Amino acid sequence: MGRIYRVMIIDDEESARKLMRAGIAWDSIDMEVVGEAASGIEAINIIDDIKPDIVFVDISMPFMDGIEFTEVAKDRYPGLIIIIMTAIDKFEYARKCVSLPVFDYMLKPMVRAEVLKTLERAREKLDREGVAYADNLDETFAEPSQDPGGMEIIRKYLDENFTDPKLNLAFTAQHFGFSSSYLSRRFKQETGKNFVEYLTELRMNKAMKLAGEGVKMFRTSAEVGIPDPNYFGRCFKKHTGKSYSEFVSSETGKQQ
Amino acid sequence: MGAKNKKSLSGTLNRSIITLIILVLAAFTCSIFLIIAKERREYEISNSERVLRTLSDSITASIVNYSQVSRLIITDDRLVTFLRADADNVDMGMINDARYGVLDILYVTEGADCVIVVRDDMIMMATDRISYTYDHDIMNSDTWRKEILDSRGRAVIMFNGNGACVRNDGKPVITITREINDVLTQKRTGIMLMNISSEVFSLMLNTPDYDNICIMGFDGTFIAGNRDVGKSYSYNVSDGEIRHNTIEDENGKWLVSACRAGDLPIAILRKAPYGTAGMPYGVVQVLLFLMLFLLAAVLFFAGLLTRKLTRPVNSFSKLMDKNRQSGELTLIETDPPYRELNMLKDGYNNLVLHVKDLIAALMDNEKNLREAEMRVLNEQIKPHFLYNSLETIGFLALDAGADDVHDALETLGSFYRDFLSKGSSEIPLEREVHIVKDYLSLLKLRYGDIIEDVYDIPADTCNYTVPKLILQPLVENSVYHGIRQKGEKGIIKISSFVSEGKLHIKVMDTGVGMSEDKIKELTRVRTGDDADGSDKSFGLWDTISRIRNYCGTDDVVNIKSEIGEYTEVELIISGSARR
Repeated sequence: MGRIYRVMIIDDEESARKLMRAGIAWDSIDMEVVGEAASGIEAINIIDDIKPDIVFVDISMPFMDGIEFTEVAKDRYPGLIIIIMTAIDKFEYARKCVSLPVFDYMLKPMVRAEVLKTLERAREKLDREGVAYADNLDETFAEPSQDPGGMEIIRKYLDENFTDPKLNLAFTAQHFGFSSSYLSRRFKQETGKNFVEYLTELRMNKAMKLAGEGVKMFRTSAEVGIPDPNYFGRCFKKHTGKSYSEFVSSETGKQQ
Repeated sequence: MGAKNKKSLSGTLNRSIITLIILVLAAFTCSIFLIIAKERREYEISNSERVLRTLSDSITASIVNYSQVSRLIITDDRLVTFLRADADNVDMGMINDARYGVLDILYVTEGADCVIVVRDDMIMMATDRISYTYDHDIMNSDTWRKEILDSRGRAVIMFNGNGACVRNDGKPVITITREINDVLTQKRTGIMLMNISSEVFSLMLNTPDYDNICIMGFDGTFIAGNRDVGKSYSYNVSDGEIRHNTIEDENGKWLVSACRAGDLPIAILRKAPYGTAGMPYGVVQVLLFLMLFLLAAVLFFAGLLTRKLTRPVNSFSKLMDKNRQSGELTLIETDPPYRELNMLKDGYNNLVLHVKDLIAALMDNEKNLREAEMRVLNEQIKPHFLYNSLETIGFLALDAGADDVHDALETLGSFYRDFLSKGSSEIPLEREVHIVKDYLSLLKLRYGDIIEDVYDIPADTCNYTVPKLILQPLVENSVYHGIRQKGEKGIIKISSFVSEGKLHIKVMDTGVGMSEDKIKELTRVRTGDDADGSDKSFGLWDTISRIRNYCGTDDVVNIKSEIGEYTEVELIISGSARR
């Protein structure tokens, strides 16, 4: 037995996430639920921090569904084990995406025994292949570009592209030919900021600006590259300490 | 239905054509017969006329000849002397002189048999006194004499001298008589009779072609030729016309022709058979050719008619029949050669289009109705809502430490997940058993300990595919009509095995059992009419019916039972593939 494998659950139903978390005795199978996301958008944003080995993805979610998420994730995280969860009425839709590198399809409602079986197989695969999150690129391969101005280019790139909802660490690293961990480390070294924090900051600054103009939240969220207003709302509150509506009213109130 | 009894168009056509052919044949045969008969008759008539005229000419010529000889005779000196002499002076010498005088002339005249000269005083001279019998009374009678004297010196023809001179051997003779007038005094001196032998005429007929000819006197005296032919003489030919008559006897048909020989009181008869000689071969050939041509024309016409009319109709109806049998309503693509058939085709195609429209409309309606129903059902069930709720409640239960509630909810979710799944209509036996397990564990929650379920599903049967949801109705039946009726704890055992390539599944319960009638009712193959769904065991019967359809045989179920002890339903599923 190797290390404890990291599991991420992506489902727009909170109870479903909670049930997954509570229903399975994760420690007994040497696994750990390290994160949840309520949408594909949220998952893209936080996956680089969470670094999961196994992801459960519900197929029907708003803003970015399980299929779209899988399409985005398959290039960025080739070693990631993706398990699609689907209710019967979406099953045929899911089947259409068999070309996707999905580890398994599971029917909702989930039955623990079945989940355990699937996880057992996932463990075998992970043990066998030894693939871990973000180790997809050889670190030495990316080292030579130790150009001091390198991170300036990255920052510029982020400044220009942060409104792309699919943008994240892995994508950027791939774009510039780095490994994710290298980029993350270098970025922190050079800018003093976490990559994910920096990207969120960019988006929130823009969001605050828009909020100051009184733009509705769902518009702003789409504008700044987090088209999931629920997740955006949480991000916004975390960043500013205020909910979007509070922020809007306080800002507009100031001006008056 | 009625079509069988109706005449077929081609049959009617064929009958008409056959009738036409028969009529044509009959008409031609009749006309050929008529023409042959007429031609033969005319041929024989012309033959007869030619022969008769020739004979008539010969006879007339010879009589004229003899008549002239007779004139010559009466100028003979010795005869004149005999005639001029007074009755008292006539003696045998004188008579003999006259005889020799006449005989001298007769010697050079063939056929003249005898010459008789009778003076007014009845003194008679005859060249032949032996062969004849002379009747002086007749010669002296006024009637006999009158006929001769009235013609004033011209020759009068008689037969056998009208009885005055008859040959003793009965051979007929033609007698030329005339009045003898003295050259000087122009006074009548006597009557001369010149008998001409019938041999003269017999000689005329002495050719093979003339064996059917008879020469007779008007009075019926046979002169020469075929005596049999003379028997049929009954014609008045005195006017000189040639008469023809057709007679029939046992030897066939004959043409009898008769004519008068010049102006003599002699009739010539000819009796000729209608032989093949007169066959108008040319005409018959032309007629036959015409007939064949007409026949060919009729046949060609018939064929044409069949091809042009019957065949398009047949091919048309074949296409319609094909349509009917295939059940597919396709437009008929044919190009009939006639406007009427085209109208028929258009009519049919319009009908087909109309029916298609109607069916499409009906199908649309039905589809819309189904879809609406499905939407309503889906709205009612809302699987998503159900599952999400189950998950939420499940978490609540788990959170509250009610693990058994969570277990139950999970089972319920699992059951409905399989039960409501829309996907494939056949699933592996393993899954089917799983559904039943879920179902029974939910039932056990409700009824507690009364059910004990036992499974004997060998691994080699797990992957056989079966129609979905065939076991649950059986188990439901076992619970509600078996164990629950008994009021005590019961066992439900589900087992499977493979025999002769067929999957056998047994559902046994230790319930109240099932009556023979009930078993019969359940296993009976029903027609669509009585499957009205009102039956209590509809679910069970419907399941059996579905398996029958799936396997393509009625032999899929086997029910054994003992009242009060057990019921065992055995399903035999053939054609299920191992996955």
